[in-house]
Amino acid sequence: MTGNITGPSREYGIFIKGGKGNPHEGLNEASSMIQFFQVYKTYPGNIKALANISFKIEKGEFVFVTGPSGAGKTTLLRLIIRVERPDQGEILVNKRNVSRLKNSQIPLLRREVGFVFQDFKLLNNKTVYDNIALVLRALGYNKKEIPKRVRQVLKVVGLEEWVLKQPPLKLSGGEQQRVAIARALANTPSIILADEPTGNLDPELTVEIMDLLEKVNQLGTTVVVATHNTSLVAQYTKRIIPLYRGEMVE
Amino acid sequence: MGALSLVRRTFGVMKENGPTHVLSIGTIAISFFLFAAFLLLPLNFASFLEAWEKKVQIILYLKDGVEAKRILQLTGELQREEGIREVSYVSQRKAMESFERDLAGYGGVLKGLKEEVFPASFEIQMDERFRTPERIRALAARLGNIKEVEEVQYGGVWLERFSIFLYTLKWGLWILGGVLVVIIVSVTANTVRLTLYNKKSEIEILKLVGATDTFVKLPFYLEGGLQGFLGAAGSILLLLVLFHFFSLKVSPYVSLYFGQLRLSFLPPNMIGWILGIGVASGLLGGLLSLRKAARI
Repeated sequence: MTGNITGPSREYGIFIKGGKGNPHEGLNEASSMIQFFQVYKTYPGNIKALANISFKIEKGEFVFVTGPSGAGKTTLLRLIIRVERPDQGEILVNKRNVSRLKNSQIPLLRREVGFVFQDFKLLNNKTVYDNIALVLRALGYNKKEIPKRVRQVLKVVGLEEWVLKQPPLKLSGGEQQRVAIARALANTPSIILADEPTGNLDPELTVEIMDLLEKVNQLGTTVVVATHNTSLVAQYTKRIIPLYRGEMVE
Repeated sequence: MGALSLVRRTFGVMKENGPTHVLSIGTIAISFFLFAAFLLLPLNFASFLEAWEKKVQIILYLKDGVEAKRILQLTGELQREEGIREVSYVSQRKAMESFERDLAGYGGVLKGLKEEVFPASFEIQMDERFRTPERIRALAARLGNIKEVEEVQYGGVWLERFSIFLYTLKWGLWILGGVLVVIIVSVTANTVRLTLYNKKSEIEILKLVGATDTFVKLPFYLEGGLQGFLGAAGSILLLLVLFHFFSLKVSPYVSLYFGQLRLSFLPPNMIGWILGIGVASGLLGGLLSLRKAARI
């Protein structure tokens, strides 16, 4: 597989237009799942996290966000689910303007997004079943529907039923990440955001997890994977949003 | 979220942090126990005071040689006085006889005492509404001005001091109550904060998958409220047990010195208030700890 590295200005020139005319032109296109328009984010102490970020991710696309540590990958993902708020600029996620979302609407946005972490963030005092069911309970799923749904997502991520009664720590790293992906998929989100999902895994398991994310993408879910691993990115023919010190680079 | 599921989640949260919860419920129970025990004091002292007030009388000791005609006149005047219900004259002879009766066992000592040693007196019972320390004092002062009266005696001084003591106790209770609420709020807030810390990952996951604030926070509010309720209920139970023990074992001995002692426990409305304060303080504790936490 070969990398298909695309420069942001070439791909998303439509947003810029020399800063003239309607600044929001190009936003809210029907097929777009995620759109960033001239987004800036600075942390206290004047630490620049992101500057002038504009891009568009289409519905059903698989995109890598790459860059070394401190490039702003995690901040970018956190902005999508409104864990962070941009200082400037607009962010649209599935036609919702995230930057202007009321607090009461944030849960609705997050229900459309599944998040996968590098360290899995599984609850080790609960079984695999409870880890997945917890999400469904929180989202008000019917009591009878929950076991069915848990088994469905478990099948999607290629895990067998016996793991359901196990605590996560009894599973291998790859299996734990599969459980985390199952949990992210439980609510059938439109988008999966994965922050260094293979960061804690060996190369063999890395391929397994990436193949799984590709499979999820083929089922119609938009997938955004943030990673610093350029060799991993090079193995897949996917679009890339490259970041360096908070800015998009060629 | 169904009520049953909410209760299950709340108990789940509490179970995972069991020993800490037992400790904080115990602390709340002890704090409430002290408060409730102090509440019992003025409650029972007030009835004690009431019983004593009924027994209070003014005694007017007369000067020697007051004529029988004047005695009769004075009796009439006293009976007409506002606030006086009953007036009885105790002659010198009667006083000596009463003294002899009271000290019957010491007959030898009394030999040779003559009735002239004992002053004649008026024993005055007051109307019910005149049995307050202030009114007794005022009446005694007025009666002391009668020319034939040598000395006035009444239990009012003692009653007055006791009444001041009760007043101070009641104010002390308010202060104690305030301190207690601060203790309960801080104990619950810290326990809930500890639970929040233990459940940090779970809360983070729940918030990231789109659980509402109410879904995430409600069990923690309830945890605080439940802690306050259990602590308050525990304190009342403990107090009830000790109260019965005191009534059965100690009260008869106390009655020997202070007359028939009728002890009463906290009335239902007061118990309701204690439980209510427990729940409210617990909820406040939960609210305070959640205000800063779980901000994702």
